[in-house]
Amino acid sequence: MGYLSTICILSCINITAVLGLAVLTGYTGLFSIGHAGFMAIGAYSSAVLFLELNLPFWLVVPLGGLAAGCSSVIIGYPAFRGLGKLRGDYFAIATLGFSETVRLLLNNTYPHFGGAYGLTGIPPLTSLPVAAGVAVLALLGAHNLMTSQHGKNCVAVGQDEVAAQMMGVNLFTTKLKALFISAAYAGVAGALFGFYMTYLSPGNFGIGLSSDLLAAVVFGGMQSLIGPAVTAFLLVAIPEFLRFLVEWRLIIYGILFVVVMVYRPQGLLGYRDLDFSRFWRAVHGLRGRG
Amino acid sequence: MDAPVLELKGLSVAFGGVRAVHGVDLTLARGELLGLIGPNGAGKSTLLNLISGAIAPTSGQILFNGRSIVGIAPDQLCHLGISRTFQNIRLFPRMTVFENVALGLHARPHYSLADAFFCTPRACRMDAAARERANGLLEQVGLEGLAGKRAGDLSYGLQRRLELVRAMATEPELLLLDEPAAGMNEDECEQLTRLIRRIHEEFHYGVILIEHHIKVVMELCRDSRIYVMNLGEILSSGSPRDIQSDPKVISAYLGEKRTSHGQTRRQLSRSR
Repeated sequence: MGYLSTICILSCINITAVLGLAVLTGYTGLFSIGHAGFMAIGAYSSAVLFLELNLPFWLVVPLGGLAAGCSSVIIGYPAFRGLGKLRGDYFAIATLGFSETVRLLLNNTYPHFGGAYGLTGIPPLTSLPVAAGVAVLALLGAHNLMTSQHGKNCVAVGQDEVAAQMMGVNLFTTKLKALFISAAYAGVAGALFGFYMTYLSPGNFGIGLSSDLLAAVVFGGMQSLIGPAVTAFLLVAIPEFLRFLVEWRLIIYGILFVVVMVYRPQGLLGYRDLDFSRFWRAVHGLRGRG
Repeated sequence: MDAPVLELKGLSVAFGGVRAVHGVDLTLARGELLGLIGPNGAGKSTLLNLISGAIAPTSGQILFNGRSIVGIAPDQLCHLGISRTFQNIRLFPRMTVFENVALGLHARPHYSLADAFFCTPRACRMDAAARERANGLLEQVGLEGLAGKRAGDLSYGLQRRLELVRAMATEPELLLLDEPAAGMNEDECEQLTRLIRRIHEEFHYGVILIEHHIKVVMELCRDSRIYVMNLGEILSSGSPRDIQSDPKVISAYLGEKRTSHGQTRRQLSRSR
């Protein structure tokens, strides 16, 4: 039971982070290979607020998200502003640099943050209902955002920047919004992660985590929330199910990736929005009858 | 007298040593439909790019409703009332027809991110209002049946038409059309001509129309003026009739070459 719930909790945390990245990469078309940095900021800030200021758990998790969101402006502002606009790959490299900077800063900050020793003594407060509840809220929220006017602007920017700007979409604020949302999602996921592991080390938030998150989005499909969410779950679950294969599992995992990308380059569920309208109609229908 | 919607004064832009547009003066009265023609590479599209803010001029002035708009970003110009279509269609191919049009209505969202996240009644109300307007626009150009289709799946002619509606959604005062009839057959050209004429009459936009289909330009500008550009400069302007008989225009289009008999090609074509 403990083992299964571990997989489920880690999946839910992973889903929350991946949904955020789906907003940025899948919808707005900005690739980030540095989202582990935002997770680290969320994890450390929430843990430190909890340990040092004794703020309650339900408050420090959203605060962790807020901290990550605000920190994203540090990189988003210069990257999207004016003539120094970073396009495509360049933005991805900038996020990579950002996350490595965050990791190294944490690695060398000993007072309050524990430095390379890591941060210990965090109570295990992330239970399965909490993690699952946050993941569901994240999914509903992301769906609402992406069907809203803000979200449509993001999609337009992702598909054709020039046309979007000519239609009156402010590229700078739209991109910054998408980055803020995705960083906040990563921050919340990081906070939950800290309160699940009870121990934080800068080594947890390396480039491996960033690329796993990005892989989940690309593998799950562009402009889709449900695809990346399902993939985020699979990426945690498959290595566990393949554990009996010992070293072979990583090879099979890799082969699976290549096969899917070759036969479904748009990703598992690319360009398929999840559609709640049918669900709501059913709910309204029941209510109307009752 | 009413101030002109658009006034260009000595507008020039150079890319390195290439003078793409040089010393262009142009005025567009309120609600006027103006044609802009010229051979390939004459600088017509560059002129539109200058007006819509996509590129900055090297010198000269652009006055929109009497106000200088040099240096203003394209998205802000759009909110001031300048809208355009593109020579090579630039729809959002993976968005639906409806979403393409609706975007012009909410490029500045009417509610906050928090409203969007929790899908508050305020957000729903604003969404519904935008939906109604977008559907209304689609009906006006006869695209209402295709609202749910992906823009990229439409036929070429319909995509052109959709781009036109999308440009109308921002409620412009000045509409810049960059070769709306490019690649269209005779029938589609005629339909488009009727549509542009109707839109122009109904909404009183100022329109600058770049077009290579001479029939389309001559028909749409029959009561107004045409500017002819060549090598970055305005070669001539006037009514369609004046333009057609202007020797400078004819030579720019056909070229002038001495034949062995000492006649120019222009004279040849005239004698034919």
